[in-house]
Amino acid sequence: MRLKQPIIAVTVAGLFALAACGGSDDGGSGTSEGNQEGEGAAQEGGNTGDAQDATRVDGPVEIEGATPGGTIKVISVAGLNTMHPSEAYYQNTSTILSGLVTRALTQYVYDEETKSMVLIPDLATDLGTPNEDFTEWKFELKPGIKYEDGTDVKAEDFIFSTAASMDRTQFPEGPAYSNDYLVSGDTYEGYFTAGKTLDGFEAVTVEGNTITYKARKPFPDMPYWLTFPAMSPMNETAAADPAAYARHPMATGPYKFGEYTPEKTLQLVRNDQWDTNTDPGRTQYPDSYEMDLQVESAQIDQLLLSDSGDAQTTLTYDDVLNENYRDFDASGRLVVGGFPLTSYWAPDYRKITDIKVRQALAWAYPYKDAYLSAGLIEGVTAIPGETLMPPGTSGRKEFSPLPDHEPGVTDPAAAKALLEEADAVGYEIKFLYAKDDPKLVKQKDVIVKALEEAGFKATPVPSTVADLSTVRADPDADINVRSPGWIADWPSGSSWFPPVIQSTNLDKEGLGSNYAAFNEPAIDQRIEDIQLLPVDEQPAAWGELDEEVMTEYFPLFVTRYGGVAQAHGSKINGHFVDNTIGQPTWKNLWVTQ
Amino acid sequence: MLGFIVRRLLSSLLVIGLASFVVFAIFYLGPSNPAQPICEGAGGRCTPERLEAIEKQMGLDKPVVSAYGEFMGGIVKGREIDFGASQYDCDAPCFGISFGTRTPVTDELKERIVPTVLIAVGGSIVFLVVGVSIGIAAAARRGSAGDRLLVSGSLLVSSVPYYLVCLLAWIFLTLQTSLFPDTGYFPITEDPLKTFGGLLLPCLVLGVATSPSYARYTRGQMVETLGDDYIRTATAKGLPRRTVLFRHALRAAIVPIVTIFGLDFGALLAGTIFTETIFSIDGIGRWGLQALQAPLDLPVLTATVLVGALFIVLSNLIVDVVYGFLDPRVRLG
Amino acid sequence: MTSLNTEVMEEGFDPEPGKPEPVKELAGRSPTRIAMGRLAHDKVAVICGTILFVMVLMALLAPVISNAFGLYHKIGPGQAALTDLLEFDGLPRVGPPLHPFTWDHPLGIEPGTGLDNLSLLLYGLRTSLFIAVLATLISTIVGVTFGLVAGYATGAVDAVMSFVIDFLLSFPFILGALALAPIITTRFGANSSTLGRAEFLTLVGVLVLFGWMGLARLIRGQVFSLREREFVLAARVIGVPTRQILFKELLPNLVAPIVVAISLALPGFVAAEAGLSFLGIGLSEGTSLGKTINAADGYYDKYPLYLWVPVGTIMVLVIALNLLGDSVRDAFDPKTRR
Repeated sequence: MRLKQPIIAVTVAGLFALAACGGSDDGGSGTSEGNQEGEGAAQEGGNTGDAQDATRVDGPVEIEGATPGGTIKVISVAGLNTMHPSEAYYQNTSTILSGLVTRALTQYVYDEETKSMVLIPDLATDLGTPNEDFTEWKFELKPGIKYEDGTDVKAEDFIFSTAASMDRTQFPEGPAYSNDYLVSGDTYEGYFTAGKTLDGFEAVTVEGNTITYKARKPFPDMPYWLTFPAMSPMNETAAADPAAYARHPMATGPYKFGEYTPEKTLQLVRNDQWDTNTDPGRTQYPDSYEMDLQVESAQIDQLLLSDSGDAQTTLTYDDVLNENYRDFDASGRLVVGGFPLTSYWAPDYRKITDIKVRQALAWAYPYKDAYLSAGLIEGVTAIPGETLMPPGTSGRKEFSPLPDHEPGVTDPAAAKALLEEADAVGYEIKFLYAKDDPKLVKQKDVIVKALEEAGFKATPVPSTVADLSTVRADPDADINVRSPGWIADWPSGSSWFPPVIQSTNLDKEGLGSNYAAFNEPAIDQRIEDIQLLPVDEQPAAWGELDEEVMTEYFPLFVTRYGGVAQAHGSKINGHFVDNTIGQPTWKNLWVTQ
Repeated sequence: MLGFIVRRLLSSLLVIGLASFVVFAIFYLGPSNPAQPICEGAGGRCTPERLEAIEKQMGLDKPVVSAYGEFMGGIVKGREIDFGASQYDCDAPCFGISFGTRTPVTDELKERIVPTVLIAVGGSIVFLVVGVSIGIAAAARRGSAGDRLLVSGSLLVSSVPYYLVCLLAWIFLTLQTSLFPDTGYFPITEDPLKTFGGLLLPCLVLGVATSPSYARYTRGQMVETLGDDYIRTATAKGLPRRTVLFRHALRAAIVPIVTIFGLDFGALLAGTIFTETIFSIDGIGRWGLQALQAPLDLPVLTATVLVGALFIVLSNLIVDVVYGFLDPRVRLG
Repeated sequence: MTSLNTEVMEEGFDPEPGKPEPVKELAGRSPTRIAMGRLAHDKVAVICGTILFVMVLMALLAPVISNAFGLYHKIGPGQAALTDLLEFDGLPRVGPPLHPFTWDHPLGIEPGTGLDNLSLLLYGLRTSLFIAVLATLISTIVGVTFGLVAGYATGAVDAVMSFVIDFLLSFPFILGALALAPIITTRFGANSSTLGRAEFLTLVGVLVLFGWMGLARLIRGQVFSLREREFVLAARVIGVPTRQILFKELLPNLVAPIVVAISLALPGFVAAEAGLSFLGIGLSEGTSLGKTINAADGYYDKYPLYLWVPVGTIMVLVIALNLLGDSVRDAFDPKTRR
C-alpha cells in the first residue's frame, strides 16, 4: 500500500491526476485472460455513448425489485474537495452532486441495455430548443420544483447560477465553459468578484418559465454543459455566502446534506421536498448515504473483499488493486467499464520535428509492459487505442494513424528502421516521471528499456507527483516529450480538438493543454471552421480531422484509453459505471433488505 | 530557578518561531506551485492570468517574509482573510484558511487535537505499564535466560517496521476476526464508549510497539541501581525482595525514565503519523501528512509543525523543571 | 512518529547526564580490551556477531551471487518482456504463488516487475546496511564533536550550540523530512543519472540531521562533569591546546557511551529507512528492504513469500544488532561483573 495522492480534478483539463498518477490510479481489474477478452472489453468498455432521449420527461422511475431503506457507505482514497455546485468539478464531487443532490435542466441516466449513459431532460421539459446557429438556447422550467427548504425553484435562479459559474476568482477550480462559450463570459468577472452584481452579465434571460442562454459562438453541446452542478439552480439569497453554501448546498434532488466535514465525511439524507413525479432519472431507495473518505487503498480492498458487516452495503469508486482483481472478479462484486480518458505521449512539436522520429516513438513505446508495471490491467483499466477521440465520441472514426500498427503493439525493429530512415539513431528522448510513486518509477524503467532497445537514447527526468504538472506546463522545460491525459466533458470532438490540438500563443498563454505544442495554422483554421459548420455535420468533421491530424502530422500517440474497475458489497444493487466520467451510477443504487 | 525558566521559555519561543519559519521557507523554496494543479484542473486553458488569480487568492503572491509575518500576526491578534469573495473573520489564534477545505485551520485544529491527545495518553499508559514491567522483571532476573527472553521477546515486536505492525493488526484483529471494534475517531462528546473502542487497538499497537525501548531503559536503570550500595544494604537487612525492587530500586531508577517519557510524550502529541494514517484517525499527524500531498496546503502544514514544535518544546521544558525537583543533584541555573 | 523518534533520537541517550563514567584501570588493561574480552565470552554476542557477519557478507556479495545465477534486481536490457514474466494482473507466470517452486527463482519473482526476489533481497540488504552504517558513522562524528565542543565551551558558544540541539529536537521529524527531502533531491538530482546518489545522500542526510542530537546531548553532559576533573585541569594548567584536551584527554573517556550509542543507532536507522520508504521519501532508484516491504504489504496473504522474507530479514537484522548492542553495553559497564 502506499499513501495515495488525492485525485485532483477530473474533467477537461483535469488530467493532472490521471496523467500525473497515470499508474497510481492503482488500477486494476480486467477480464480474465489478456488479449481476446481484453479486446472485447475495449469495445464495450471504451464506449462512452452519445445517446439522447428528449422524450423522457416525467418520473417516477422505478427499479424492478428494488426496496427502500438501508444506508449505503461509500469509501475512497480521495477526499471530497469543495462541494460548492459552482466549483465541484472532480469526478467524485460533480457526480455525487448531480446524481443525488442538485438537479439541473438536463441529466444523464444509465441505460442497462446499451450499458451506456443517455442524456435526458431533468428540470427542463425537453432538451432545449436552439436557434439556427446554436448561439441561443431556450429551455422551459418544470413547475412546482422546490428546494429542500420548501422554497420554489425560480427561473431567475438560473441567471444567478450562470453568473456565479463565470466567477473564476471565487471558484478557481470550477469548470470554465460559461466563460468560454456564453455571452459576456469573457468580460463579466463573475457574480461575486464583480461585487455581487449582475451588471454586465447578459448570458441568460428569463421570461416566465422560459430560460434563454446566449452564446458568443455556436454551442451545440449546450445541453451537456447544463448537466453540470455549476449550471444547477441556486437561489441568490440562499447562496450569498459561498463558503457557507459550500458546506451545505441547497438540494433539489432526492438527497440533501446531513453532516459534512469537508474532505473527510459526508452524510446524505432523504430530501422530502423532492418530487419523484418530476424526475425522470433519479430514485430515492436508500435511507441515507455515508461517505467516508481518505481511506488507504489497501484498506478499501481488504474491507470490500471481506464483505462482512457494514462492508456488505459499501461501495467504492476507486479502482481495485490489480493484485486483487481476480478475487473481486470471482466474487461477482466487480464493476468494470470505460470512460472518455485518453492518455497519450505528446512529443514536443517544436523539438522533435521529424514525423518519422515521432512514429518510431510510437512503435517503441512498451504499451503492455507499461500497463503491467503501473498496475493497470489491459482491457480493463488500460484499453489500447490509437485515435485521439476515444470510443463513444460522436463521429469517431476507427483508423490506424501509423501504417500497419495495431493498438498496443510494440516493435523495436520497426522503430529502429524508422529511426535509420530519419538518420536519427540514438535520438535523445527526455520525459518526466514522478519519482515518489513506486509504480510510476517501475513504469519509467520499462519505458527506458524499450526506448533503448529501439535505438533511442532515453533520459528520464525525475519530478514528483506534486511538481509534475507544474514542470509539464512549462513550455521551456528541458524535456521533449510530455505524457498527459485528457477526459472529455461531453462526447463531442469539440471537447478534444480545440483544447488538445489547437495552437496557443506560447509566450502569453503557455501550453494550455496543447502539450505537444502542436502548431499548424491549417489545422487551427480547420478547427475554427468545424465549429461553425451545421451541427449535424460536425461529428463527422471531427472524425475526419482526427484522421487528418493523426496520419499527416502525428503530433501525439495514444498510450491507453481509461477504464475503471470498482467493487461493492454484496447487498449493493444498481452499481454500474457511468461511462461519461467513470463513476458509479448514483441514480440506480439500492440496498438489499 | 525562575531565571532558568524564563530563559528556557524565551529560547523555546525562538525555537517554535524558527521551526515555523523553516516550513515557510522550505515551501517557498520548493519547486511545486499549489496553484498550478488547481489552475489546470479548472477546465478550459490554464492561462498565466488565471494562474496569477489563483495564486493571489491563496496568498502566494507575496514574498516569503511578509507572508510569514502576516501568518504569525494572525496567530497573535487574528486577521481578516479574503479568500475569493468569501471573507473570513479569523480570530486569534488564526492559522489561516486551509487551501483544501476552505475552512479556518484553527477550527479543524481544535477537532484534530483531541484524538491525537487521546492516542498519546492511551499509548503512553500502555507502553509505560508494559515496558516498565518487562524492564523490572528482566532486571530482577539479570543475566539469566529469563532476562534474555524478555528483552529479545520485546525486541521481536519492535523489529518489524512499525507501519506494517499497524496494518497487519488492523487486518487481522479488526477486519478479519472482529476482535476489536472498528478503528477511527468518533467524537468523545457523542459516545465515549465508541471513542474508547475506536482508539483501543491503535493505542495498544502504539504502546506495545514502543514498549521495548522502555523495557530496555528500565532494565538498564534498574540493573545500575540494584548494584548500588544502599540496595545491597537493604537486601542485607533482610527486606523482602519485592520491597527492595519496588520501594527502593524503582524509585531511584524512575527519574531518568520520567525524563525520556516527557520527551516522547511531546513527540506523540506532535502527531502519530503512522498510527493515525493506518487506523484512519483524523489527528494532527495525518493532517500534516495530507497537507504535504499535492497540492500543498501551506496553512495546515505550518499549523501542524507549529503545534508539534510547541508540544515538544513544552514537554522539554516541563521535563527540565520536573527533573530539578526529582533529582536534587541537578541544580538549574 | 514515536517508534522512529525513539529509535532514532533517543536510543543511547543517557538519561543521567550529570553522572560521570567511572574509569577503572585494571592491571594496565584498557576498558576497551576488558570489554572485548568479555564480549568474546558472551554467547549471545558471538551468535549475533556471526549472524551479522553472514548478512554483511551476503550484502557484499549481492552482485556476485546475482550475476552467477543470472538474476535481475532492476529492469534493464536483457531481461525478458514483462508480458512474458507476468500474468495479466501482474502476478508472476513462474514460481509462487500461482505456480510451483523453481530453482531459477528460489524466492519467486516480484509482481509488477518480474524481478528476482532473491536478488532484490540481497541488494536491499546491501542498501539498508550501507545507509544505516553511513548514517551511524556521520551522526556519531557530528554528535561527538558537537557534544565535546558544547560541553567544554561555556557561555555563548554552549548556549548557541544547545539552542541548535533544542531546535532540531523540537522540529517534528517526519514532517521535516517529508518537506525537505524533495527539495534536496530536486536541487541535486535533476537528471536520473545523479538522482540515485542524490537520493541516497538525502536519505542519509535526513537521518543524520535528526539523529545526532541525542548523542551530542549525552556527550555534552559527560564532558560537563569531566572537565572539572583533575586530569583535565592539570592538562589545562600545563598549557595543552584545547583541541588536544578534547580529543586526547576527554574522548578516550567517552569510548564506552559512544560504542553503546553506535550499537543502538544502527538498528534504529535500519528501521527508520523502512518507515521513511513507506512515506515515499526513500529511494526511488535501486532497492532497499524498506522499499520491498512497502511494495509487498498488499500481498500478505496472496504471496506471503514476497512480503515475509524481507520482513524476516529486517527482523533478524534489527534483533541481532540490538542484542549485540546490549552485550556491548554490558561489556563496557564497569559495574557488570560475571
